[in-house]
Amino acid sequence: MKISRRDFLKWTIAAGVALNLEFDLANVNTVLAAETDPPIIWIQGAGCSGCTISTLNVTNPYTIDEVLLNKVSMKYSNTIMAASGSSAMQTLDESATQYKGQFILVIEGAIPTGANGNYCILGEVNGTPLTMEQAVLKYAPMAKYVVAAGTCASFGGVSATGANETNCLSAANILNGKTTNPVVNLPGCPVQPTILVQSLLDLILTGNQTLDTNNRPSKYYGISVHRACPRRGTGAANQVGATAGCFRGIGCKGPTCQNACPSMKWNNGQAWCIGVNYPCIGCASPAFPTNPLLG
Amino acid sequence: MSTIVLDPITRLEGHLKVSVTLDSNNIVTEAQATGNLYRGFENMLVGRVPNDAAFLTQRICGLCPVSHAIASSKATEEAAGFTPTLQALLLRNLIQGANFISNSILHFYQLALLDYVQGPQMHPWTPGYSQDLRFSTADSESLMASYVTALAIRRQAQEMGAIFGGKLPHASNIVPGGVTASPSSTDITNFKNYLNTITTFVKNTYRADVNKLATTYSDYYKIGKGYGNLISYGVFDTDTAGTKLFQAGIVTNGVKGSFAANNIKEYVGHSWYSSPSGVNPASETTTPNFEKSGAYTWLKAPRYNNEAYEAGSIARTWLSGDYTNGVSVMDRHLARYTEISKIATNMQTWLSQVTPQTSGYTNIGTITTGSGIGLTEASRGALGHWLSVSDSKISNYQIITPTCWNASPTDDAGNVGPIEKALIGTHVEDTTQPVELLRIVHSFDPCTGCSVHVMSPDGIEMSKFVVQPL
Repeated sequence: MKISRRDFLKWTIAAGVALNLEFDLANVNTVLAAETDPPIIWIQGAGCSGCTISTLNVTNPYTIDEVLLNKVSMKYSNTIMAASGSSAMQTLDESATQYKGQFILVIEGAIPTGANGNYCILGEVNGTPLTMEQAVLKYAPMAKYVVAAGTCASFGGVSATGANETNCLSAANILNGKTTNPVVNLPGCPVQPTILVQSLLDLILTGNQTLDTNNRPSKYYGISVHRACPRRGTGAANQVGATAGCFRGIGCKGPTCQNACPSMKWNNGQAWCIGVNYPCIGCASPAFPTNPLLG
Repeated sequence: MSTIVLDPITRLEGHLKVSVTLDSNNIVTEAQATGNLYRGFENMLVGRVPNDAAFLTQRICGLCPVSHAIASSKATEEAAGFTPTLQALLLRNLIQGANFISNSILHFYQLALLDYVQGPQMHPWTPGYSQDLRFSTADSESLMASYVTALAIRRQAQEMGAIFGGKLPHASNIVPGGVTASPSSTDITNFKNYLNTITTFVKNTYRADVNKLATTYSDYYKIGKGYGNLISYGVFDTDTAGTKLFQAGIVTNGVKGSFAANNIKEYVGHSWYSSPSGVNPASETTTPNFEKSGAYTWLKAPRYNNEAYEAGSIARTWLSGDYTNGVSVMDRHLARYTEISKIATNMQTWLSQVTPQTSGYTNIGTITTGSGIGLTEASRGALGHWLSVSDSKISNYQIITPTCWNASPTDDAGNVGPIEKALIGTHVEDTTQPVELLRIVHSFDPCTGCSVHVMSPDGIEMSKFVVQPL
């Protein structure tokens, strides 16, 4: 990418951030089409693939076909790639080697470190299992950027809760100091797809983003769900299912959870949790899942 | 004699390994399926309030979260002696139906089709096997055009489900007591518009494409049969008396029979557990033992009346009479289409029965003690949650997932699991590109996130052992 274009984009995006959380980057992103598709390697650890499914649901800034065909080159994704077996593992290693220092590594799910990492095997390389832990430690330092997609990868999440029998760690935890750039945490259970896709494009186009103390892009995680909630200050709702009123008094996690749900909502803006009369369970919080979820 | 190890099997949820042994004619003589992820899910539920389980168990699987939320809610409702209102059941059906449609379209186009068609010559569609690709260039291009359209339709199915469910994956509001949505007339119209678009795709494009596949690969009606025995817990309540769109039941050697949950037992003879084998999940315990001789997987082997049964669309449509042509790779694809078509039609009916501005939720209070079973179906098959509550907290939680039935190992009597059985006897034309094996495994739509959580190493210190994955 030419320096002049990069500088131009930096200026454009900075201006957008100053104006509004939900600025439209469509015009900026079209520049990508002129570039060689940037390589992405997406690996899954202890998780549910929900962040992959959520990403397939993206509509803004682009739908997933546009992302995969014209914006990025998805070198490895267990869920959608054609190759299986040794061919898949070879593609993983060759892509990381060929694009060393250039690719973005997306980590979905937490990383089990118990039992020498053997609670999660990505596949076999020459008859030897490659654990998620080994893959993260090998490929993250080779990546230009590392993105933790979802709460499990960002903070441990559901995978690390309770007794955490498998000793699951977050990406940043296991990679402390081992990456070229800070791990970018994009929590949410699942990750909000616009945040995921736009964050990848932001990194590609403009490099490191402003991160908060939890390594989250400030522009998406800057305010609490409660602060932007349309039910804030509308009187108290006394039980889940109430069609009006604030759920704070019955344990809503909106006050302590930072995410863009009130403005972006979910599934192409169709709905969100509080919109269907259930309190925020704090799925993007470092503490998720609290025991109990509400309270 | 040679062996093939496929690790990972991609285009499914989670981490699955399959290894087979071939004879000198390249016929599979032995097969083993191994899940490669262990999460210890059930233990993290113990000590929590029952309502939390409807949210946490969704996080087992991002593909079929709605079915987990419903199974969990049903288990708690049974413990409370509560039957949800018709409004609640209708909303659950519509959210779950949307999830089924999204899943089955994703499965056919994004997960399975690339075993038969080459995609664009770019990542992630290349590299891939080039073995046994029979479609003409025109047909391949047409199918890949459908692949792209299907990406949008499956997304729209998720958007449709979110209208009542809050968000997908991981619905916001399916809880013991019902569904907290109170749909407006606008919501209902919005849902209907989505449903019309999706139904048109299903009944035209999906139908044409699955038939094209079946015609071109008709030999796959004879490949990957497995046992042919089928099981379903039933799904989609159509009234408050327990009537379902797809009834529970079993099919044994082609004969339908009734289903009773107490006939389920789980065996661990070839699994890494030393806990008692052959126990019903309501009273089951789980103690891992990774050094156990003869064990090769984290999965237990659920059996019904001591026999291996296959779960999935084909079980449901066989029992409902909608599809009874046979059991094979291609029959599974056709059954999945047949089922989705039927679900889409019935969703129109359920939608018309939804009462605007009426909540689907009833506050059932706190359950202090009791037990319950929540049985439903995920798109890939029978799903059951077994719950015990004491002192208002979960004291025991057991889950048997569809992929547990399908990808289970050999049981104590020597019966291999359904996927293993389906692989045995298959001829592999090119051992460097064993596409036949992928086609068989993918036809079951396995989901190892589902299958691998069921082991709960109670009280074991993890530092004491090292896992040998195989």
